[in-house]
Amino acid sequence: MCTTVLREICKTFPKYTSKQFRVFVSLRSLGYASREYAHEERDPAPFFFDSNVQSLLRTLTRVDLNKVFRKRKTGDLKLEQPTYKFLTDEQLQDALKEAHEKSSQLLQIPPVIKVRKPIDTVISNDPALQGLETSKFVFTDISYGIKYSQRIIVVRETDGTLRHADWDVRERMNQLYFPEHGRKLKIPRMFENTNLESLLNRKEYIFLLDRACIQFEPDDANYQRVTSITYQHINDNNDFEILRSTRHFGALAFFLTWFKNIDNLVLDLLETLHIEEVNVLLQLYEKLHDQSFGAEKSDEVEALIIYINKAASKKGPLELAVQAYKDLKKQRLQLEKGIQAAHGLT
Amino acid sequence: MSFCLRSINKTIQHTIATSRWNLYPILSQVKVFSSPKIIIGNSTRNTSFFNKLPADHLWKGITSVSNAGKKRGRGKTLARKKDLNRGQVLGLGKANMLWPGLSAPIIRGKELVERQQLPEDPEREKKLIQLRDKMGALKSYKLSPLERGWSGNKMPGRSIGPPDPIGEDKFEGFDTKVIEFKIVFNMKGNFGRKRRQSTFVVTGNKNGLAGFATGKAIDPKAALRKAKNRAGQKLMHIDIFRGHTVNHDFFTQFGATKIYVSQKPEGYGLVCHRAIKTVCEVIGIKNLYAKVEGSTNVQHIVKAFFLGLLRQKTHQEIANDKQLHLVEFSKDNEYYPKVLASPTVCRKADEIRHHEVMDFTQYCYDGRIVLKRKKFPIFYTKHKSWEVHLKKQEYLRNLDKTQTYLRAEYGELKSFLTEKYPECRPHKVPPKEKTSEEE
Repeated sequence: MCTTVLREICKTFPKYTSKQFRVFVSLRSLGYASREYAHEERDPAPFFFDSNVQSLLRTLTRVDLNKVFRKRKTGDLKLEQPTYKFLTDEQLQDALKEAHEKSSQLLQIPPVIKVRKPIDTVISNDPALQGLETSKFVFTDISYGIKYSQRIIVVRETDGTLRHADWDVRERMNQLYFPEHGRKLKIPRMFENTNLESLLNRKEYIFLLDRACIQFEPDDANYQRVTSITYQHINDNNDFEILRSTRHFGALAFFLTWFKNIDNLVLDLLETLHIEEVNVLLQLYEKLHDQSFGAEKSDEVEALIIYINKAASKKGPLELAVQAYKDLKKQRLQLEKGIQAAHGLT
Repeated sequence: MSFCLRSINKTIQHTIATSRWNLYPILSQVKVFSSPKIIIGNSTRNTSFFNKLPADHLWKGITSVSNAGKKRGRGKTLARKKDLNRGQVLGLGKANMLWPGLSAPIIRGKELVERQQLPEDPEREKKLIQLRDKMGALKSYKLSPLERGWSGNKMPGRSIGPPDPIGEDKFEGFDTKVIEFKIVFNMKGNFGRKRRQSTFVVTGNKNGLAGFATGKAIDPKAALRKAKNRAGQKLMHIDIFRGHTVNHDFFTQFGATKIYVSQKPEGYGLVCHRAIKTVCEVIGIKNLYAKVEGSTNVQHIVKAFFLGLLRQKTHQEIANDKQLHLVEFSKDNEYYPKVLASPTVCRKADEIRHHEVMDFTQYCYDGRIVLKRKKFPIFYTKHKSWEVHLKKQEYLRNLDKTQTYLRAEYGELKSFLTEKYPECRPHKVPPKEKTSEEE
């Protein structure tokens, strides 16, 4: 219905091109809104880069090396025969250690920082140059060894204004002169909301997040839009397992905790009997929001109960899950006692 | 005058006159009559080549080859004998006559049937000719590409189905393929040269169970059946690594046939001699490279290959033999060391002797080295014209990528000049319009 209306608009007002029409449609269809770490709000960076928080996030990632070193969709068509080696115990330990180091590199969580401020610094205004040229000029310092963010890129407008280039132009110029492998000059269509939705429905989360990491800088509003929508979709569909043992799980956990939306994750952890991870998640919550549930000291559900009473939004299901967890624990204890009695150990 | 002469020639042909004294007066007549006239030859001849000899002798003339020629394999495409009586029924002939008592009942109802001339059937002759044309023509056996073997409609490489069930034991999931199909001779004291069909087949269930056998019989079909059933009785179990390839590289030999087999990653396919390929298909091996050196006798190749497969070691055996861990490093999983097998007691680094073979492939080939010929550049790359060609083609080097990008981005091939010169765009083939029938 909505599409037809929009199509009518396009027909009646020919100034709207089909491209704009696509934007209309894309804005309409997706059920999620972007939730950014906005630059006027609290800065997540000092929390995120804290080593304690990093180790908590790493614990939550639940590293399974088989999944870390999984077969990836790299699009590499060349077949390669594996090599086989005879190794002694020491050599094997060394190789495993090396792989472990590599795994920490592969699992490095993409940085969580605020969205950058727009650039609007005017360097000089020279009305004498007005009308000299019909197009803008972009000047880029292409000397080597300068960071992307610190490279000097300026624009001479047709009206004679000399100003610093805005972020879009900066990224294009950087990519033009110093291309990053896998990054495209134009934002790939898959990040438009319609295509994004289709990818999310197909649960291609890892592909989406990986490509977002390559395409965007972490302080880009587009990056935060794509990732936040993906995280919300994962949270709503309880697809946490897909992201476990990948570099994105830490960012997901941080996102959910930062926006106080951890109830689904807690439920998932409780159902899979990972109570210690629930406590880790609550510790993270304490750190980010300056609240206290005593999560560091508790090794059972005590901290969780305090959390439910104080801060949870899904109180009913959480209480039920806690009860179910307790019952299961009790049953297991009884079974163990029964087995021990049967073996004559007590 | 010329017209006159032509008519004479015709006359000579018409009158089946061959006798000379008959011809002379006609020619002498020509001199007399200078005006064109039809001359009627009077002579007839009632015996000819065709009615002097029996049909069999006549047929023999076009269907037979001499005995010596037959031995040399001549006369394979000669005409075949036709039964000219086929399709002809007694009492029904060219004149469509009704003969009571022969082609019709004598009494119909209460009336006596009379002899009667029916209207002529124009189709009858055509049908007879069609029937005769069909006879004697060589049947062409064109096989569908799925049934085809290694070459044309020859048997080798073709599938002949599972071995026959024995009692209640059925060979489910089995398939048999012919490897060799040839005629063999044997000298007998009283019979002379005895000719038989010999077949060599391999059967398997595509899941690591396979066997091969030969079968001989006078009848080709019987030979195939014999071989197939014998192969079903000689099944061997063969390890398939991860369901697609061999456990490790290996060298194997039977007689003068030597084979180097190497393991390959998934998606590589079977790159080897066609006999080995057929065997692999039947066993269930999907990826492998094999190089045959020496004799390419297919029976020997199959035997050597089976021997090699059976002599493969498991990874645990290799690790135990070496007393070292066997570790796999694959690009697929970022070269993460994957331990395939560990020995019960592992040796230390200083216990390894300096001349010991530590390379896995070398170990599997038992110290042998495959001769790899140096690849020389193709001859034309040295020509001046090749250089010219490369220079001419250089501007096309990223054409396909650019076209794909432009189509994805703008839906057509365009440049920054397209808006200024809209007439300059590549020709587009208009989409085919659907006809009402297709819908």
